[in-house]
Parts: sequence; structure tokens; C-alpha cells
Amino acid sequence: MRLSGERRRGRFPGLRGTVQQQGRDMHSRKRERLRAGSLARALPPIALLVSAAGVVSAAQARATGRTTRRSAHAARVLNVRDEGHLRFIHASGSLLIDEGHASGTFPGSVKVRFVYDGEPNVSAQFTISGSGGSISAKGSGRLSSPTSPDPSFKGRMSVTGGSGRYAHVHGGGELFGVFNRRSYALTVQAIGKLPY
Amino acid sequence: MPSRSLFALAALLVCFACLVASANAGQSAKIDATFTPERLGAATTMSFAFQITAEGQDPAALTAMDIAYPRNLGFATSGLGLAACSQATLEASGPPGCPANSQMGYGSAVVEIQIGPVLVKETVSLAAFAGPSPDGYLHLLVCATGIFPVQAVVVLAGVLLPGHLKIVIPPIPSLPEAPYVAVAQMHLTLGGHLTYYEEVAGRTVAYRPAGVGLPGRCPRGGFAFAATFAFLDSSSSRARTVVPCPHHR
Repeated sequence: MRLSGERRRGRFPGLRGTVQQQGRDMHSRKRERLRAGSLARALPPIALLVSAAGVVSAAQARATGRTTRRSAHAARVLNVRDEGHLRFIHASGSLLIDEGHASGTFPGSVKVRFVYDGEPNVSAQFTISGSGGSISAKGSGRLSSPTSPDPSFKGRMSVTGGSGRYAHVHGGGELFGVFNRRSYALTVQAIGKLPY
Repeated sequence: MPSRSLFALAALLVCFACLVASANAGQSAKIDATFTPERLGAATTMSFAFQITAEGQDPAALTAMDIAYPRNLGFATSGLGLAACSQATLEASGPPGCPANSQMGYGSAVVEIQIGPVLVKETVSLAAFAGPSPDGYLHLLVCATGIFPVQAVVVLAGVLLPGHLKIVIPPIPSLPEAPYVAVAQMHLTLGGHLTYYEEVAGRTVAYRPAGVGLPGRCPRGGFAFAATFAFLDSSSSRARTVVPCPHHR
């Protein structure tokens, strides 16, 4: 699902008509001219929150009478809000490798390299592989309580690379998770805006 | 030549520093570390032991030790210490007062007590527990319980930093007017024969925690351990050991 009318600055200065894309409807090109009002009705509540800034921008563009255009060079933004439930695969010292499935705006399979060496901050490198490509990212977060059976962590992530349609993906966002110290299972949630 | 003179002077200074260090070292230490089983990439039980020998003098009380271990050992991911036991609980009730899932290890120690002209040795039992974490690091509490000739429960507080285990030993009084108790030997095992409990479908099920994870590859030269011991008389002692890489079968 696309939102148009958000003006990007900085990385692509002067670019107009940025398109935001939600994972489930990323193949739908018909909807990119949808007005912001109808978009809001179509979006699920969670995606609506993530896309709130874009909606505001689109509304502003409409109010000023600007027409929205999609340029061939327009950067698209993948609003990721994914949650993965991962099971333990392998360990090597303080490194754990978990795999599982991610659901959300960019569904696919997830592989995580999770390091917890006693520092309050844990680190993770993960790759989400979905239809159309994969996105790799790394992040770190502070563990809430190391003596809890399943401590949670919260931190930041940044994209390190991608493939396929997301070969030029970048950006970052927030990383949340729960680490089960008995089974080494991980529940990870990634939220971010990733231009690609 | 000036450079040769400088080199000679530097060598002389280094030798002098070594002599001074030897003169100050009232205690010498030896350490040992073992993994059981020794299987790379698998969880293991880690044992650490040290022995302190006073050279020609009364033993000084041990006040702190810093054990350096390979940073990629999976202490934090060992599954040990899934609950916390407070120092107050340990001091009041001893190990039975702590949750089963908080115990991380066990061991024993030999302490030396000066009673008149006689140096009496006492064997104490050790139990290691996960302590509350105020700073995000894993904290370790070692409860030392002695029965005879001195009956006492002493709690040693430690913190597990990446690659380091630091333990502070409080001054342990023995008899009136007598010097503090000196720790001469210690053997501490992390993991091993521990029983934890978990809820599975509404039932409490016992299990054995995994233990310290060994990395998949052995470091060049083996797993290096080092320890620094600090004593009440301001002296210190250092020791090193290496756990050799397991043989491939």
C-alpha cells in the first residue's frame, strides 16, 4: 500500500512524491494514487500508526493543491513492523543462533545471531528473507533483568544490507525482544522505516 | 652508544622492578581450570580452583580476586541463575533459603585460622547463587559455611563482567585478638549437578540446567585463564593457567 505526497529531504534532496510501501500490498501499484482519507480506512490499525506521518504529509499536500506524482527515481520506504518467534538452533559460547518466522508488514523467515556475553547490552544480527528479497540488520538493546528466566530487551537496529528488491535498503528503527534463558528462544520485534 | 646505554638502563629498571615485586609478594598463587565435558560447541561444567601459599610468614587474609576467562565462554547464556537470591537471605537462612533456580554452582574452600601459635585449617562448603542485579550485570553470591572450629556463614559478593569474574571477600574474624581468617584454597564449580524447576502445562518439572557454553572453536593455545589475588597486607599475587584444546577424535 502506498502513500504519496511525503517530501524527502537529506539523502535524496529535492525528491518529490516519495512512496511509502507496506509489505503485504507492496505489489499493488493501483493504490498509489489513493487519497489519504481512503488509505486511512484501508490500513490496519498498527500500520496506520506507523504511517501517521505520511498521512499528515499527504493531507498537507492535498490541502495545498499539489498533485502527487510518482517519479521513476522516487525512493520508496518500507515501514517495517515485524515480529518473529524464533527457536534455538545452535550455540557457540556466548553466541546463539535462532531461526523462525516473522509476521507483520514484511513477512518471511528470520535468522538471528544473538550475543549475550554478560554485558547489560545484548546484540543481534538478523536477516529477514521474504518474497522479493531479504533485509539484514544489526542491533543492540539493554536487557531488563539478567536473572529473570525471560528478560526483555529494548534498543536500536540499523540495516546493514539487502538483496533483491531491497538491495539498496537502509535506515533503521527500534528493536524489542524477549530472551528465554531456559530454551534460548527469542521473540523479536523490529519497527522501522527503511528507504530502499 | 646512547641507544645501547638506554637499553641497558631500561633492562636494569625492569630487573629492579621484578626484584621489588618478588620482595613484596608474601603469597604465591596457583590456579587451575577444567571443563567437564571438554566438547567444543557444547554446554559444560566449569571448575575453577586456586591455592595460595604464604612464603615464610603468616598467611594474609584474601580480600579480592579477579578471574579473567575467555570472553566468548557462554556464562551469561548458561541457563544458570534463573532466579535471584539476596545477600540478606543467604546470611539469615543460608543456602536452603534461596530459590533452587538461583543456585549456579558449589564447591569447597580451605581457610587458615591462627589460634595462638598454631595454624588451624578448616574446610568450608561453598554454594554459588545468582544475586540481584542493580546494574544489568550478572551478580554472583558465594555462601561459605564453616562448622568447626569456627562456625560461620560468610557471603562473598561477585560480579560477572564480560571476560572477568570479580569477587570481594570481606574480612572474616576468627577469635578475639586473632588475625582474620585467610583463604588458602578454593574449588568452585559452575553448573554440574544442579536441579532446576519449571512449569510445564501447569506441572512443576525438574531439569538440569545446560551449563557454560563452550565456543565452537578453541582459541589458539587453548582457553587461557588468569587470576589476580589481593590481600589485606596490600600485597597481591597473580597466576595463570590454560585449558588445552580438546583433542579431535
